[in-house]
Amino acid sequence: MIEEVLSPIKDYIKGYRFNQNNQLVLEVSDFNLANVSSYLFRDLDCDLVTVVATDDRFTEDECFTLRYIYSYPKKNLFFIIENKVKSEFNSLSNNIPALNWYEREIKDMFGLIPLNHPDPRPLVLFPENFPSNVHPLRKDFNVSDRPNFKNYGKYEYKSVEGEGVFNILVGPIHASIIEPGHFRFSLAGEHILQLEIRHFWKHRGIEKLAEGKKPEDVIDLVSKISGDHTVAHTLAYLQAIENLSNTKIPLKAKYIRVLFLELERLMCNINDVAWLFQDVAYSFGAQGMFILKEELMRLNKTLSRNRFNKNVLTIGGVNLDIDKEKVGSIIDKLSYITEKYFFYKNILLSSASILDRFETTGRIKYETVKDLSCVGYIARSSNRHSDMRKQHPFLIYDKLAFSSQTFEEGDCFARLMCRFADIEDSISIIKEILSDLPDGEIYTQPNPVVPNSWTIGYSEGQRGSTVHFVKVDKDGNIDRLKVRDPSFNNWQAIQFAVLGDIVADFPLVNKSLNLSYAGNDL
Amino acid sequence: MFRLIKERLKEGLKPEKIEIKDENIEILGNELKDIIDKYFNGSFTIREVDSGSCNACEYEISALSNPYYDVERFGIKFVASPKHADAILITGCLTRNMYEAVMKAYENVPHPKFVIAVGDCTLDGGVFKGSYGIMDGINGKIPVDVWIKGCPPEPIDIISGILKLLKSKI
Repeated sequence: MIEEVLSPIKDYIKGYRFNQNNQLVLEVSDFNLANVSSYLFRDLDCDLVTVVATDDRFTEDECFTLRYIYSYPKKNLFFIIENKVKSEFNSLSNNIPALNWYEREIKDMFGLIPLNHPDPRPLVLFPENFPSNVHPLRKDFNVSDRPNFKNYGKYEYKSVEGEGVFNILVGPIHASIIEPGHFRFSLAGEHILQLEIRHFWKHRGIEKLAEGKKPEDVIDLVSKISGDHTVAHTLAYLQAIENLSNTKIPLKAKYIRVLFLELERLMCNINDVAWLFQDVAYSFGAQGMFILKEELMRLNKTLSRNRFNKNVLTIGGVNLDIDKEKVGSIIDKLSYITEKYFFYKNILLSSASILDRFETTGRIKYETVKDLSCVGYIARSSNRHSDMRKQHPFLIYDKLAFSSQTFEEGDCFARLMCRFADIEDSISIIKEILSDLPDGEIYTQPNPVVPNSWTIGYSEGQRGSTVHFVKVDKDGNIDRLKVRDPSFNNWQAIQFAVLGDIVADFPLVNKSLNLSYAGNDL
Repeated sequence: MFRLIKERLKEGLKPEKIEIKDENIEILGNELKDIIDKYFNGSFTIREVDSGSCNACEYEISALSNPYYDVERFGIKFVASPKHADAILITGCLTRNMYEAVMKAYENVPHPKFVIAVGDCTLDGGVFKGSYGIMDGINGKIPVDVWIKGCPPEPIDIISGILKLLKSKI
């Protein structure tokens, strides 16, 4: 099967091997990289999952390693192209736009130069307060090194010129209670000609902080990557660690993990829907949905003593058991939520004036989603399927029945409908696993991790696939942690979504995408 | 259309029947309302600034406006401009990239002003302490009037923190 898939590019690859069960590593020299990547991305229609650089200069390799990770759902495979580089590499962003931010990130964090990059400006480290010779993820950079605080340079924004063209600058601090990010609109009249986004205001250095620590000491850090997706991120990280240590968690722990992942998805989707209702002035429904969100957070608190279910998961299983009493309280709450949810949804769907705000607003084309490798509901509402639960099933998702629907239009309405479909999916999944909850252990003693190994762990958060690349050193400590929040792949899509819309629609478009700044900025 | 309105009016009363009033919130809130009515002429305005949190704090602060807590009925209002604010509420570990923006927001709150720090990482960076990317919280950079601890603090903690602030300063 592998030979068949790889036969068109067999002349370009030096060899291949399996890293872990479904991770196929292709060894490719820099010269053939473009051909192989193009074949995977364009011909096989793979999605770009992430690009990971590691600093291996102080090992026997004596160079940097770049790993381009592609997902190939048809065969439940991950292709990982390995490329060893010294100081510069060929940029592939012109053919694969999804690589754009990754290559700029690698340039900032490792000081490797992407040759012929279409947009070589700094991304993560602002020239206003980081000198250009600082590259935090290099091994010879100490995590607590703080360069002098002064102005080192200036960031060049794109400009739009012409008669009557003007700019509106927003942020980094926004008017309402949301996270910081900078948006620049260029307009002629009311219509948006261009939107330029600038992020990474919240860059906290999470990936560097993890280095050198024991795997179990990083869980707390990982749970705070993006507060509303704490279960998804923790789960992705734990699956990587359990892969590395070949730990098989008990069946009941798998069920409980799915339960908390779906509770988180349900809470986030209800919150998103509430804000979408609010932004189209359907306040009655919005406040109703906020009540449901609060009810879910209170349910979380009764289950795990934390409103976000932090600290529920651990290496080798879960920290808390779900007994009969808890099952009852979840079922009761769910039936209450289901009833209310359909009530508000049906009113919305029968009101033409509300629907008019959603329809045709913020349209993202299928081609854009494909080129940027968008994930989650953004991809699914533009008719491209993206769901790790179906494409690369983990835990017990291959045994569960759920629809994971796609929608064609790609506008705000499609994204709203996608949220509705996800809410209904989550409710049915939770009911299914609670009716079928097995008995038994919830924790198993994990094995030690295999030294000098690496793998990827993933989960499907509410915003889309959440992927963690973990590499451990000879002592079993974290050597490199690369976090790919779904927002990192999705943020660039907003620049295309608003084109031709009016500024007054931007809050709605932004809410319909509802991306994480913290997860993106790391 | 008429049928729709009728249906909405009929069904629209439903949510009011839900028991959504929490005793703790009522007690704290009424104390808060008395102070705000007396000293702030009925409205205490807050500018929220995220200096680099994980967004859980934002989640809980925006929950303050949901029907369970509804802090606006006590006179607490979140405003868009720091120039309109009585207090600035800061979350997050204060990243290097946000430093200038946070300081500008703080300076633009007119005197006399209060500073409310929310969340564990605001104090010293919390789990991110010691990273190259952050300034280890706002401690020592901005004079803080009240710390509201927790990761993240629950909405009820934030309300009682604001009450504590007003009681101690007035």
